[in-house]
Amino acid sequence: MRTIDWKEVEKNIENGRFPQWLVTDPEIYELEKERIFGRTWQFLAHESELKEPGSFVTRMMVDDPIILVKNKNGEINAFLNSCSHRGVRLCTEDYGNKKAFSCPYHGWTYNLNGELIGVVAGNKVFGESMDKSEWGLRPVPRVESYQGMIFGNLDPDAMSLEDYLGEMKWYFDIMLGRSDGGMEVRGVPQRWVAKANWKMTSENFAADPYHVQTTHRSAVELKLTPSDPLYASYGHQVVLSNGHGINVITSATGRSNNIYQGMPESMWSMFEKNLNKEQLDIFSRVQNFVGGVFPNLSFLSSCSGTEGTKYNHLQFRVWRPLGPDQVEIWIWYMIDKALPEDYKEKSYKGFIATFGAAGTLEQDDTENWARIVEASQGLMARDRNLSYNNMLNYLMGLDYLDPDENFPGPGKAYPTCYTDHIARSMHKYWLELITKEPEVKSHE
Amino acid sequence: MNSDIQYEISQFLYYEAYLLDHRKYREWLELLDDDIQYTMPLRVTVDNKMGSNLNTEMTYFADSKKDIEIKVERLYTKSAWVENPPTRQRHFISNVVVEPCFSSNDYKVRSYFLFKRSRSSEAKTEELFGEREDIIRKVNGKWKIAKRTVYPDQSVLSVMNVSMFL
Ligand code: FES
Ligand SMILES: [Fe+2]
Repeated sequence: MRTIDWKEVEKNIENGRFPQWLVTDPEIYELEKERIFGRTWQFLAHESELKEPGSFVTRMMVDDPIILVKNKNGEINAFLNSCSHRGVRLCTEDYGNKKAFSCPYHGWTYNLNGELIGVVAGNKVFGESMDKSEWGLRPVPRVESYQGMIFGNLDPDAMSLEDYLGEMKWYFDIMLGRSDGGMEVRGVPQRWVAKANWKMTSENFAADPYHVQTTHRSAVELKLTPSDPLYASYGHQVVLSNGHGINVITSATGRSNNIYQGMPESMWSMFEKNLNKEQLDIFSRVQNFVGGVFPNLSFLSSCSGTEGTKYNHLQFRVWRPLGPDQVEIWIWYMIDKALPEDYKEKSYKGFIATFGAAGTLEQDDTENWARIVEASQGLMARDRNLSYNNMLNYLMGLDYLDPDENFPGPGKAYPTCYTDHIARSMHKYWLELITKEPEVKSHE
Repeated sequence: MNSDIQYEISQFLYYEAYLLDHRKYREWLELLDDDIQYTMPLRVTVDNKMGSNLNTEMTYFADSKKDIEIKVERLYTKSAWVENPPTRQRHFISNVVVEPCFSSNDYKVRSYFLFKRSRSSEAKTEELFGEREDIIRKVNGKWKIAKRTVYPDQSVLSVMNVSMFL
């Protein structure tokens, strides 16, 4: 097989063309795991999922099983969910509360700080040479959080989470930091497996409002959404640092019929207290925030209901790669703690009706993502010489759109959401990471 | 349980499966009582001491008749891509147990389901299985489903989406 000509890939990406073979190529997938997922911040949990000391959840960072646990001091730590003795998966439960974690194989026990506290038959069989303090659970090198969102990073030298999120923090403040008491996850995340490539699903949320009127045309046919072909284009597509992006979708008038996404008036004074003028301006005009944190965390803050009485709902989702053509979808539904219970209930109903495994809008997305990978695995699509013009088209807005200087938020804001600016920026960051050789650390 | 009732209700459930498998969704709607509560909570992996391994705070759906009607009508549009090309599907319903309720017209009905689906020319098929708990009642001489809770056995579903009715 031809070796990868990264210069040529770069040239194509610069010109709005993404070689189709990169989507599902197995060698690329191995590189992605090591150089993208091994170095970037990955979402693990929201702090509301870990309420008491001893509360834990188990998660996956691609193939690494992770256990997140709150200790007696209220600190949340993350460890590889694998016993330090012979590597057995320590905890098989999704969530719960424990005083200690005991391994089912030989009985080693770890406390909430991951320290090895119990070895069956201890000194009698291991002698004095084993120092228990060397055999605790192996921590995820970096765990940091922002607005209650806890992320992990396997690269000890990675930039801080706040630097990584960069301009995205400003938008996270609107979605997650607007109300007193913050957000809470309802129940547990929905999880299911779909045939799709993680890049395409991430891109769908971060960068592709253009798909809305076709993929979700059934909603138009049912008169649930307007037929205007430009419906999801109004507003701004905002390119942020490090491959992140957000679409601030408004309407043809640039305003929303439902101020603050249909939030009840009782909440407004909190918003005014917690957000600045520019953030309030955007929040008052937005219909949908949809975007992504590179590589595989997506979010959507939308409304359901009838005109005049809309209910806001917020979801975060991780596309956990299971292979080049499969993802495990995890969706967390979140809501402001401070909202009245009856609003929360209606918001939740609006969310599950449209999104999640059974949501009417979601169903048609999964169909199309499956069809991408189905048609991207053959000799023509996978050809590294590009002899079949096997290139995907990201030309939208390439040479005619300029950023809107008057947009009040950070980032480069293009005056329409029907453009491929975020997608191209994701491709560039993807390329930057995937072509960076691992540093060889010298042993002093 | 009166064997006539057991027989009638089993036949009713098989007829329901027939309508769904043959994509006669509007006819299927007729089998639902107007105040139906149709929900599917999440199965989770938790310690045995927690008693239940269901999480009912989050569900895949929690539909009223109106919600189901919208889902049904959507499947008849030209652009519901999950039904275009049409789904080939089978609902295998078994282990039907009928118990009477306090109200004379209502019966509590438990059944197992295995759902299989084939899409386009894909050789691999999808499946979903678990248990259903229904309240089935006679309204004006016709059996109707007044309540259905669907308990999937997987905590991570292996179907691409839950567009099917279960
Ligand atoms: S593998 Fe865990 S105690 Fe041996
Ligand atoms: Fe979509």
